[in-house]
Amino acid sequence: MDNEKQMLKDISMIDFVLVDLMLYLDTHPYDRNAMEYYNHYNRIKNRMEKEFSMKYYPLNKNMADSTKEWRWGMAPLPWEGGCR
Amino acid sequence: MWSYEKRLQYPINIKEPNAKLAQIIISQYGGPDGEMGASMRYLSQRYSMPYREVAGVLTDIGTEELAHLEMVATIVHQLTRNLSMEEIEKSGFANYYVDHTVGVWPQAAGGVPFNACEFQVKGDIITDLTEDMAAEQKARSTYDNILRVIKDPDVCDPIRFLRAREIVHFQRFGEALRMTQDKLNSKNFYAFNPGFDMCEDCGGNKDECCKTC
Amino acid sequence: MQDYFKEEQIDKFPVAMAYVPWQYFDKMYDDLEKAFDAGTIFPELNKPFTGRRCV
Repeated sequence: MDNEKQMLKDISMIDFVLVDLMLYLDTHPYDRNAMEYYNHYNRIKNRMEKEFSMKYYPLNKNMADSTKEWRWGMAPLPWEGGCR
Repeated sequence: MWSYEKRLQYPINIKEPNAKLAQIIISQYGGPDGEMGASMRYLSQRYSMPYREVAGVLTDIGTEELAHLEMVATIVHQLTRNLSMEEIEKSGFANYYVDHTVGVWPQAAGGVPFNACEFQVKGDIITDLTEDMAAEQKARSTYDNILRVIKDPDVCDPIRFLRAREIVHFQRFGEALRMTQDKLNSKNFYAFNPGFDMCEDCGGNKDECCKTC
Repeated sequence: MQDYFKEEQIDKFPVAMAYVPWQYFDKMYDDLEKAFDAGTIFPELNKPFTGRRCV
């Protein structure tokens, strides 16, 4: 697996932790332990997302600042899969 | 409002096309227990939910279902790309092909188009949450059935992921129902519809009785 | 299974209603790759399909 793909997978993995914790916290809004986990992984995710966007392409419009070309529009599509 | 992430919730990289399999899996796109129905059900049910926390669960699960919808579409797309005309005819895909070429269109495995009658918004919190729990189980069974026919690990992994999410969502809807029960009168859960019947001074703790007024 | 029902005293719950037990978060998978593969970070919610009775 190349570096770009590996990094994207790592981001998806961390974001998945956030999704599962978010749903848990929605029904357990006072669980401090779960909130600590959430805050911890959220920091990591934000950092990784920024790094990925600078190195490869923006993953969302917050990371899409461009100068020479509109990087957001030219980024690969999620469903392209192995055929790139 | 929503914002888009340009990635899948779970990576999908299918190397071998298989139109026969695509025709089965498309049911989880636009079929009776598919992700389109799931996302529309939860997102539409939110407006008549009397409790913020429960509407929050519906928003977040409904949003995740949209990500699942994209995953199922990706599986169908990758299973049908680079097909020859001969393969299309041989795999029984010609009936779909004639109307959609290899575009992804919401239908059930049997060809029935997506229909909003596949889900309900009853405007009653107990009814709607009970439907949501059943919906998660129906989707889980569909994924079980799909898993029995797949051999390719490239397809199997994302389907197993999607199936696992149904179980987690079932648990969360069950907990949302528990939250609802805590706010109602256990002597008669069905005395009134908290999303419809207006608040009146019932002599008791108004805060407890009429939280959303 | 029967023992669970005795301990939880589920029969004392009001009738004509559905109940799912509350999940209490204790630990999540340390190995995030494992959680991602399982489709949940909670070991107690990881219930894979086997398609066979005796496993």
